[in-house]
Amino acid sequence: MIKMNELTKVYKDFDLNISMEIAPGSVVGLIGKNGAGKSTTIKAILGLIRPTSGKIEVLGKDPMDFSAKDREEIGACLADSGFSRMFYVKDVIAVLKKMYKDFDEEFFRARCKEQGLPLDKAIGDFSTGMKAKLRVLTAISHKAKLLILDEPTSGLDVMARNDILDMLRAYMAEDEERSMLISSHISTDLEGLCDEIYMISNGRLVLHEDTDILLGKYGIIKLSEEEYAKLDKNYIVSAKKQPYGYDCLTNEKAFYMENYPTTAIENSNIDSIIILMLGGEHTDVKEESRS
Amino acid sequence: MHVIINNSSMIPVYEQLVEQIRQQIMLGELKEGEGLPSVRSFAAELKISALTVKKAYDKLEEDGLVITVHGKGTYVAATDTGLAAEARRRAAEEDLSLAVSKARLAGLDNDEIREILEMILEEE
Repeated sequence: MIKMNELTKVYKDFDLNISMEIAPGSVVGLIGKNGAGKSTTIKAILGLIRPTSGKIEVLGKDPMDFSAKDREEIGACLADSGFSRMFYVKDVIAVLKKMYKDFDEEFFRARCKEQGLPLDKAIGDFSTGMKAKLRVLTAISHKAKLLILDEPTSGLDVMARNDILDMLRAYMAEDEERSMLISSHISTDLEGLCDEIYMISNGRLVLHEDTDILLGKYGIIKLSEEEYAKLDKNYIVSAKKQPYGYDCLTNEKAFYMENYPTTAIENSNIDSIIILMLGGEHTDVKEESRS
Repeated sequence: MHVIINNSSMIPVYEQLVEQIRQQIMLGELKEGEGLPSVRSFAAELKISALTVKKAYDKLEEDGLVITVHGKGTYVAATDTGLAAEARRRAAEEDLSLAVSKARLAGLDNDEIREILEMILEEE
């Protein structure tokens, strides 16, 4: 669905260099701090910016060469996109009907009703949650093959986030060939949805792993200074100094549970992995053990 | 099909899935030829990644418990009744050995344990 090879985009104070692949039928999550390059990546995929170098292919084409018909295959939801404040949902329906050959009006109306989006109220008067739901609904209502969502749940309460995630899950379950790329700050949203996670930092890819492995095999080991010194560091990805010693991120927690049965080992989640991978003074364990 | 995932367990989610489905097949709650939910819909229902579900189905297939027909779905395979009986026997053995270790903790000797077992058997 998407192939990106050494794609770069150079700005005055920031540059992106990233490779990624999204297979048909998969849900891929993009995480990273603010300003890491998530939105730039998404804009490149949609053909909204011209890459400086590298190759990008979306649905078998360079996004810069997309025709209007190609764009119909993609459902997009960007953070600052939306309809005019003066529009009513019924106006949105009229626009979508004209824009997308496969727009499913019945589906759209049914979801609006279900999600409590009134047809005859100006969008300007919608709550943040209602606007976000409308954006997502717009992206999933025309049977797109590929969904690109930039922070669709940002700034929403837990119930609204859950409603949106359920809509996205239903969209994926409907057709097994559909793919989705979603970025979010809220990593729990991605844990229950994505098959793979790409973590980017300062425009570079720092981690690419199946969600299943991140949650099932990664773990956090808490150690005192002495224990840390004696630890077999073969499966330690990163370590961070703490007042009591070290927190270590492992990609083989089972190994340490077996060989260090008295050590404190916790399940990791994406948040704790971000903190250990990107957080302040992190120790490059591999460098250390080599020297 | 009812499966309960414990997200804070140290056991990886896909193993939890494999174990629970395996048990339901072994105990005959899932019958031969019965279809399992599609990967995506099961993932949506359990709020886990589809890859996790796929991995679990692959493992079950490897163990000969289910068959995946490409483009159609995953079905419970004909269970070897001998194998199922063996599994039930093993489960019973495990429970008994657990009971024995509890009895040891309580300071009971072999004769006392046998006595209790005899008593339970007679009561039945």
